Amino acid sequence: MSTKKTHYPEIPRKNLGPGWWLANRHYTVYMIRELTSFFVTAFSLIYIYQVYRLASNPGTYSQYLDTVRNPAMISFSIVALGFTLFHSVTWFYLIGKIQPIKIGRKKTSPLLALGINTVFLVIISFAVLQLFIVGK
Amino acid sequence: MSKMSTVARFHALLWGVFSLGGFIAAFFLPILIYINNIAYPLGLWPVTSQDPTRLLVINQTVSTLFVFAAVGGSLFHGIFRLSATLAELGLKKQEAKITALGYAIIAVGLLALGYYLWVLSPNIIPGLAPPWSK
Repeated sequence: MSTKKTHYPEIPRKNLGPGWWLANRHYTVYMIRELTSFFVTAFSLIYIYQVYRLASNPGTYSQYLDTVRNPAMISFSIVALGFTLFHSVTWFYLIGKIQPIKIGRKKTSPLLALGINTVFLVIISFAVLQLFIVGK
Repeated sequence: MSKMSTVARFHALLWGVFSLGGFIAAFFLPILIYINNIAYPLGLWPVTSQDPTRLLVINQTVSTLFVFAAVGGSLFHGIFRLSATLAELGLKKQEAKITALGYAIIAVGLLALGYYLWVLSPNIIPGLAPPWSK
């Protein structure tokens, strides 16, 4: 057996600008999917700040709640919810693509994974609502 | 060799946590955003006039753990993915700095979230009171 390494010529690569993802619909959808992470991160940090305000100074916490009621904040939250739901749908589809489950001779399709996980999302959301009802 | 495999194992672990965070964000974050930031300020079903965060995290064990998992997992997933996305958007040269900053934000964010939730619900760790709390 030969131990000689084969050296392949380097393929010339085009330098891509920051707007490369606008050139093709698939790239654009891909980038929108990745940018859902911005809203996931932003909401997480905002919520940590809310918990900090509640824990560190309950007296001034009601001032923070005025920020939550601000129309700009509500608008941001509606956009964040849209992007987070887009993350959910694309994540479920992606999992079905990466890890299909074998049942007999057949493999599950990404659409089936999306459907099943969406049902779980609804069930889990109702279960979380119960936490609020218990809290009351 | 063993050092490399440790690094590779740690890398695999981070990707595992990222994947878990993706599921957590997908299943838990939409309902939390809806209740806390849309239903509460707009007075929509099922929220009453009471602040949902107070209901969830003051002297509650299960819902406090839920908030920690939902927000902590989402933070890890979001920052891990955002760092890679920023590199793809033209910040490739700054990738190492962005990644380091991302891990720092994750560490501080998780510690702060865990500590303040513990202050609000000390019963999540029975028999141990949080230091420096009022």
